[in-house]
Amino acid sequence: MLSIALKMLFGDKVKLLGLVAGIAFSTLLMAQQGGFFIGLISRSANFVLDARDVSIWVMDPLTETAEGPRAMRDTELNRVRGVPGILWAVPLIQATATLRTNEGRSTNAAILGLDNVSLVGINRAFVAGSPEDLRGPDAIAIDQLGFARLWPGEPIRPGKVIEINERRAVVVAITDAAPGFSAPVVVYTRLSQALDYTPGGRNRLSFVLASHAPGTNPADVGKVVTAQTGLKALTSGDFTRATIDYVIRNTGIAFSFGVVIGLGALVGILVSGLTFTLFISDNIRQFAVLKAVGTSNWRILGMVASQAVVVAFIGYGFGLGLASGFFEGVNQPLSELKGFWLPWQVAAMVAVATLVIVLLASVVSLRRVLVLDPAVVFRG
Amino acid sequence: MSGVIVTNLVKSFGAGDARVTVLNGTDFSAEAGKMTFLVGPSGCGKTTLISVIAAMLSVDSGAVNVFGTNPLILKPREVVRFRGETVGFVFQQFNLLPSLDAAENAAVPLIVQGMSSAKARSKACDLLALLGLGASLSKLPSQLSGGQQQRVAIARALVHEPKLIVCDEPTSSLDAASGKTVMELFSSLAVRPDRAAIVVTHDDRIYHFADRIAFMEDGRVVRTEDKTRPHVIALEPHR
Ligand SMILES: Nc1ncnc2c1ncn2[C@@H]1O[C@H](COP(=O)(O)OP(=O)(O)OP(=O)(O)O)[C@@H](O)[C@H]1O
Ligand SMILES: [Mg+2]
Repeated sequence: MLSIALKMLFGDKVKLLGLVAGIAFSTLLMAQQGGFFIGLISRSANFVLDARDVSIWVMDPLTETAEGPRAMRDTELNRVRGVPGILWAVPLIQATATLRTNEGRSTNAAILGLDNVSLVGINRAFVAGSPEDLRGPDAIAIDQLGFARLWPGEPIRPGKVIEINERRAVVVAITDAAPGFSAPVVVYTRLSQALDYTPGGRNRLSFVLASHAPGTNPADVGKVVTAQTGLKALTSGDFTRATIDYVIRNTGIAFSFGVVIGLGALVGILVSGLTFTLFISDNIRQFAVLKAVGTSNWRILGMVASQAVVVAFIGYGFGLGLASGFFEGVNQPLSELKGFWLPWQVAAMVAVATLVIVLLASVVSLRRVLVLDPAVVFRG
Repeated sequence: MSGVIVTNLVKSFGAGDARVTVLNGTDFSAEAGKMTFLVGPSGCGKTTLISVIAAMLSVDSGAVNVFGTNPLILKPREVVRFRGETVGFVFQQFNLLPSLDAAENAAVPLIVQGMSSAKARSKACDLLALLGLGASLSKLPSQLSGGQQQRVAIARALVHEPKLIVCDEPTSSLDAASGKTVMELFSSLAVRPDRAAIVVTHDDRIYHFADRIAFMEDGRVVRTEDKTRPHVIALEPHR
């Protein structure tokens, strides 16, 4: 019976194509937009993800996101260092500033002021130069995508002189740092210099980056930090999630992507629903014949379901192939969509959605087949 | 007598003012080993009657006996099985599945009953060869002439060796020559001592194939006529 069902399906090339195209399109739309959404909101946590050796982020109790820290007093650093279970703790200053090139091009950038000695928090994947180069006067490192934005078409190499909030800075190194959600360019510099580049006096500590001692666990140590200092302390993983949650809650981004993904699903339901209904009603006589020669409704149900599942599988395969091709294509070092990928969770969710779409579509047409009176085979 | 016996069948369609009574106390019988033709003017209820006999339609009242079984009182599941095992169908419009080849089409009733595709196909091929289609086993219906398609349909009606075969206007879509070939093959293969064959037709060119003709008017069989079929006897050694 299965082979009869599949032959019915593959025998009708035009409708098969329509079904597969409809499902592939909705799969593509859902997977592409889903991956895009994840990629975009994950950018807000890129600072956290780039700081690989940090296990605990300590911040002002009112800080909610990695991209919008509240300033703390400088003395908090030493208080954190005094908490048992803390192996080391270093300061990080994070601010936004305006970059201006000699050619007159300008852009907003996130300035990350790193601990003068350890440079903890830096993304160590350098495209040119090295973290050590940051020790020179007026030295900064800029991410390669930012470099390409500021000097389009020019070879990516150190040596450029720019102004940050009207102070001189020399690009001594190029990093592979991932762009943030709100600031498109990431600038690393020493903490002392970051204070000079950005307005305000002392007490502008954004985060204390810390590591837990061997034999302890970061979540527990974080609790002790909070108990002793009154500051908020999160593990890197918790802070990543909190930051992404913050973006979802405080921007319309989840809603607008939700709308597009929902539309993708709707297009899928409509196109595959209509085509499947058409497919079934065109084949209604064939189903009537099968019923006339003794096929039970259960087997008919199985036939329609297997046709639906096979179509869903093929359409999903094509759609997912296209979507991953898209992400493969855009995730290039110098692409605006750098760092975007298709998470397997999105692929899995789209698979479930596709199956539901096709089963819904077939349920509508199934009713007609199940109530079908086999006696219609005698009518002309 | 073994075969099909229908007594006092009443069947109406629709409700209220639109209600039409199509079978109006119909009595009818078809003996095993014989080919019974059912003829009459359009709309007199022939298709309705064979639909009831073939367990595809319920009735308002009356009784049907098909080789000892009354399909009207079976449970829905048993009706489906009864149809699959006991009845073979031939339709005016052939009703082959367009994406299956000739052999697969003829094998469908066996596959529906759970036989493996390979075994079902080989039984179907044997039968198609008897019907003169040995060279067209792998052709799709669209690649066959009308007469050839109807012969595939006959193979499908016979392949599971049903006790009852019902045909509705089997030659109406065919030209005279292929209609004659189809009926010759059908009568030589279908008629067996343990099987009843009922053929509904308008086509008086094929009346001479009948053993018995039942004339129907306004939902009743009004007259029957017995015939002799010399050509069937001539073809008998063929089986
Ligand atoms: N499902 C149905 N619903 C309503 N009326 C029906 C239905 N089936 C048949 N009829 C009516 O019953 C009457 C008899 O129909 P039936 O098909 O049995 O006639 P027939 O003798 O086979 O005619 P023909 O020679 O034209 O095929 C017709 O008036 C037809 O319109
Ligand atoms: Mg009729």
